[in-house]
Amino acid sequence: MTTPFTPAGAGGERTLAVVSAGLSQPSSTRLLADRLADATVRELEDAGYTVRVETIELRDLAHAVVDAMLTRFPTGDLARALETVTGADGLIAVSPVFTTSYSGLFKSFWDVVDPDSLTGMPVLLGATGGTARHSLALEYAVRPLFTYLRADVVPTSVFAATDDWAASADPSTGSGGPDVGGLPKRISRAGRELAARMSHRENEGPVDPFAATPSFTELLGGS
Amino acid sequence: MQFGIFSVSDVTTDPTTGHTPDDTERVRDMLTIARHADEAGLDVFATGEHHNPPFVASSPTTMLGYLAGVTKHITLSTATTLITTNDPVRLAEEYAMLQVVSDGRMDLMMGRGNTGPVYPWFGQDIRQGIPLAVENYALLRRLWTEDVVDWEGKFRTALQGFTSTPRPLDGVPPFVWHGSIRSPEIAEQAAFYGDGFLHNNIFWPMHHTRQMVRFYRQRFEHYGHGRADQAIVGLGGQVFMRKRSQDAWNEFRPYFDEAPVYGHGPSMEDFTRETPLTVGSPQQVIDRYASFVDEVGYYQRQLFLVDHAGLPLKTVLEQIDLLGEEVVPELRKIVEAKRPADDVPLNPPTHAERVTAARAAGEAGATHVGDTADPYTGTVAEGTQPSATSTARTTQQEARA
Repeated sequence: MTTPFTPAGAGGERTLAVVSAGLSQPSSTRLLADRLADATVRELEDAGYTVRVETIELRDLAHAVVDAMLTRFPTGDLARALETVTGADGLIAVSPVFTTSYSGLFKSFWDVVDPDSLTGMPVLLGATGGTARHSLALEYAVRPLFTYLRADVVPTSVFAATDDWAASADPSTGSGGPDVGGLPKRISRAGRELAARMSHRENEGPVDPFAATPSFTELLGGS
Repeated sequence: MQFGIFSVSDVTTDPTTGHTPDDTERVRDMLTIARHADEAGLDVFATGEHHNPPFVASSPTTMLGYLAGVTKHITLSTATTLITTNDPVRLAEEYAMLQVVSDGRMDLMMGRGNTGPVYPWFGQDIRQGIPLAVENYALLRRLWTEDVVDWEGKFRTALQGFTSTPRPLDGVPPFVWHGSIRSPEIAEQAAFYGDGFLHNNIFWPMHHTRQMVRFYRQRFEHYGHGRADQAIVGLGGQVFMRKRSQDAWNEFRPYFDEAPVYGHGPSMEDFTRETPLTVGSPQQVIDRYASFVDEVGYYQRQLFLVDHAGLPLKTVLEQIDLLGEEVVPELRKIVEAKRPADDVPLNPPTHAERVTAARAAGEAGATHVGDTADPYTGTVAEGTQPSATSTARTTQQEARA
């Protein structure tokens, strides 16, 4: 069994951003995102943290995401969503699996995020699909996306097939080893991993591009 | 404040008629547009520089040189000149020639360009965009201000004893702007040299423009060229007008919906709210653009994009008439009343003002370099011997003085 994690310096506040790319309403993708968030919050609260959860449904931002791809700048609710995501202390990102991979809307959203803004961000990945045959999409498609963005992706990612929502929570009915149980058990483990990373990292906020601009002497020297 | 137009020179099908001009028609239209802007009393015509279809403006100084001959008052400029992929030696030569041909009625704006393949087509690496802009411009300045240049850099073959001709008009190089949308490094470069900075904000929200201009102003002051509010700032803009606002909306919407950059994206309602695009009556344009001074401080040049997205020539000329007759006189009155102090420049510097300043500072250069020694370095142009008498500073400069 995993040892319960002990926070380095318990207490304080953390913001958890949850991005769900489900398209139907209600959506099982959103359901999984909420469960993952609950598990993470529970762990952090047990360790003495106050947690603010900000949930973003990409469906509501779909038009704005396409506009931003064409105009190169985000506006309105999308701009606020991007600030929420890049300013959070931890992130849960959940996509349905469409045609062997993340959904186009999910990818488009990360395409309009500043590629440097998720460096070091603790991220928990989730995906949903009709059957477990799609589960490795998390590992061959979603995880490399966040690795490219230099995010800190937790080892456990959670795939929920339709049948998982009816499976027993009892680990003894699971198969594949001591840590591979039903969906609730995988969710708890993933939440614990994300909470552990979030307790060790507080987002320092975005880099100020103007403060980071080299002086002209440096620019001349570097040419 | 100066008001003018700038063109990206796109060949775009008119979505309402299906007409697509060929390259010759588009170039001739641009010439007509520039002459019309001069006649309408606008202050600036600036052409872009592109090296791929659907754009036709690949040779700015050829176009501007012709326009110098057929226009009377308008300042000819660029938006932008590619400082990254052009050879700075050719830029020094071409724009000094334009300066002489136009009798100083020109300036130019440096930019890095937004078309990736242009870099490899011209033998450069896009990842070196900023270093290229920095090194090439440093060389360009030396070629204009030093008669004989020995130079070695990273991106271009070295120069020994090179003299760029013609020497700048009256020994004073053209005024230079630096245009950038997203790169603070370019604002830093403009500030370092005390050059102008134009934020081409036509596709961007004002809060971003405000940040970029504020940064340039702070750095301009830091480098000792004057107070922050004395820095030379320009903005881009985009308008479509009819006497009645609703007519403007109805007429422009098909062009907006099919426009090369933002077409099939945001609605015209969203885009007019988020960017400087203003569709409506001349009064609505005046109201909107009068507010920009409150956002970025008093600035010296406002450029409008009016000939794009397949708009027919006749419509573009009507837009220029509306600018010249109704918008600019009123807008100028309002914004110039908001100038914070008398020592904040009303306009970008003219050639005559720059000559006066350079002479006062003893910085006007030679107007001919031949078999005479460079007064600063003692070196001479290639292959000649130093001569005892320096006549480098005689000629046009003193003839005029």
